[in-house]
Amino acid sequence: MMGNCCSDVDGGMTAVGGTAPSTSAANQNDAADWYFKSRGMQGLFSQIELSFSATNLRDRDVFSKSDPMVVVYIQERDGAFTEVFRTEVVLNSLNPTWITKYTITYQFEIVQILLFRVFDVDTQFHNVAVKMLKLEEQQYLGEASCALSEIVSKPNRSLTLDLVQREESVPSIHSQHRGKLTVHAEECFSSKTTAEMTLKCLNLESKDLFSKTDPFLVISKVVENGISIPVCKTEVLKNDLNPTWKSVFLNIEQIGSKDIPLVIECFDFNSNGKHELIGKVHKSLADLEKLHSAREGENLFLPTLVGHDNQHKVLKSKLFVEKYSETVQYTFLDYLAGGFELNFMVAVDFTASNGNPRLPDSLHYIDPSGRLNAYQKAIYEVGEVLQFYDADKRFPAWGFGARPIDGPVSHCFNLNGSSNYCEVEGIRGIMMAYTSALFNVSLAGPTLFGHVINRAAMIASQSLAHDAKKYFVLLIITDGVITDLQETKDALVKASDLPLSILIVGVGGADFKEMEILDADKGERLESSTGRVASRDIVQFVPFRDVQNGRTCVVQSLLAELPTQFLTYMRSRDIKPNS
Amino acid sequence: METKSRTLEITILSAEDLRIGNKPVKKNAFVVVSVDSFNNKATKINRDGGSYPSWNDKLVMDMPMQTVFITLQVKCCKGSSGGEKTVGFARIPVTDFVGGYSPVNCLQYLSYRLRDPKGLKNGIINVCLRLKGALRDCSSQAASAGGIGLGIPIDSRRDLGVVTGIPIWSGYPANSLVR
Repeated sequence: MMGNCCSDVDGGMTAVGGTAPSTSAANQNDAADWYFKSRGMQGLFSQIELSFSATNLRDRDVFSKSDPMVVVYIQERDGAFTEVFRTEVVLNSLNPTWITKYTITYQFEIVQILLFRVFDVDTQFHNVAVKMLKLEEQQYLGEASCALSEIVSKPNRSLTLDLVQREESVPSIHSQHRGKLTVHAEECFSSKTTAEMTLKCLNLESKDLFSKTDPFLVISKVVENGISIPVCKTEVLKNDLNPTWKSVFLNIEQIGSKDIPLVIECFDFNSNGKHELIGKVHKSLADLEKLHSAREGENLFLPTLVGHDNQHKVLKSKLFVEKYSETVQYTFLDYLAGGFELNFMVAVDFTASNGNPRLPDSLHYIDPSGRLNAYQKAIYEVGEVLQFYDADKRFPAWGFGARPIDGPVSHCFNLNGSSNYCEVEGIRGIMMAYTSALFNVSLAGPTLFGHVINRAAMIASQSLAHDAKKYFVLLIITDGVITDLQETKDALVKASDLPLSILIVGVGGADFKEMEILDADKGERLESSTGRVASRDIVQFVPFRDVQNGRTCVVQSLLAELPTQFLTYMRSRDIKPNS
Repeated sequence: METKSRTLEITILSAEDLRIGNKPVKKNAFVVVSVDSFNNKATKINRDGGSYPSWNDKLVMDMPMQTVFITLQVKCCKGSSGGEKTVGFARIPVTDFVGGYSPVNCLQYLSYRLRDPKGLKNGIINVCLRLKGALRDCSSQAASAGGIGLGIPIDSRRDLGVVTGIPIWSGYPANSLVR
């Protein structure tokens, strides 16, 4: 064989396809993964199918009930709504359930606002294709709007909204009763179940007295027409008639189901590529699981052609399943459905370097025209995404580096001014507490994060002790470089084993080079003064550049990492969604 | 006095960037866990991980109540000649996993800086552990057992951490860690 000495024999002997699953967050269809990544979408994205039903729709027709249809719109960056989807028309019903579903890509880090309008399709258009219908010729029945994250964060992934008239923004007591619309979300590619198997053979028959047998297995699935498609192959074991191969990991969804027939063929490796079939078995995953629990072996056979019949020559070699276990790799949405929450906490820098809040050049200046300052923007951009994942919408909010009225400098004071509790209600509550705190404290210094981090860690720790299904996200907004880097590192290292992620946003024009040390992506693992090293990288840092035209997307890249951090934490500790 | 003890389940996960004499370790690294001088257990030898070995080896040991430190020693055995060399070691203060943020009986993931016999940094070791047994945290008891150049705050409520002292005796070379 000509190319023999150049071919990659070692490569040919390695296992292919049956390797352990990775722990990435984007754990769906590989083709979909590639599609999204090639278009620059990082982070967590998941294909969601929305289905619709409604109750108590208004009856517009005189002689029969309404024939309703739903039209879905997405809000673009400039605030305008674009139509994206129409369901079919359900005839003669005020409580319809539509069949056609809308597929949308759920992205964790942006707020995806959807608008749903219900129309009654006039009888004269009943034979027209849905997409050809002109909406202005139909009867408008009402509309409702929500964020996609509101739907997926509900435990049963269903959200019921009151339908309102276009001109109203919220349903009032006087508005006519227009019915309710229910939107339900399903993930297109749900959790992956992986079967891990250790296969072994006993008494393989050697083909040739003079040469050694180097066995390996090829596992294929059988599809229609009896065609078999290889799924994976094991590594080649040298000179072994009783081989036990390393575990293979098979994705059950990729195969189809546990009952799909599989062909397991045992070949003798030959470096010229012409591997000889030693024997094979036909078994499904369910059969292999039974073999494992019964501790039985299955005889290999060789197909032989005798005349027109396909006879099988049963061999004395047997295949055993030494180990069989199934693990499920749950998705982020699985955890949300299981009741897990992301709890938002915020800490604001009140050091004097921000400038006098009453002067327009201060980073803390509250513009009477309503234009948000950098602090308000950062709070809003992170908070508006995360708020949907927090069930009670009560957020701990702190300030640091200031002197509350006639007191000593505090490096962690409650933004709401209370001495007992630190929480505020909603993003609006944070904004109000921030504005009032600005005029009730004297900006001071130095800039220390340690106290705030320890406070957040205590909250996470108490939640852990109560087995709560919460993951905490602390947003620290600062204008300067921290004064005590080591104390901050110590606090971070101590907190690195908690269900906590810390997002640090730097505002203003300072040089934040030193802050990047805290983000292990850009440097080394954090080390405390006692020699302990952070077990996880829980910090992300990004400078907040105020862009004049268009919305800033800087914060989105921070948020995009959160689902991965959450999943890594849960998976490494084997915490399941339904525990 | 009756010595009560708790059960420590410690899984040695992996180590990173191990070196001997400034060259990366090639193979055969293993870890010895010591609760005190009499109470040691070792992991299996890692053959092919090189300077980034992973063991995932779970060791179960008794940890008496007055234990102050758990010591981890990463060693490398020299194959057939049978000798073993200490690559680095780390001390885990018991207060790092008792009375800290994680609740009792919780699985905790910890990582530590390894220092070689000369006191220089030599890689990182990753472990996860779980303590089973009596529910009192032992910070106050730990205070009564002495330490070698070690400061431990008595009041565990305001525990800001354990300080590891690296003693510097006048006249001795500054880089000798412990004798």
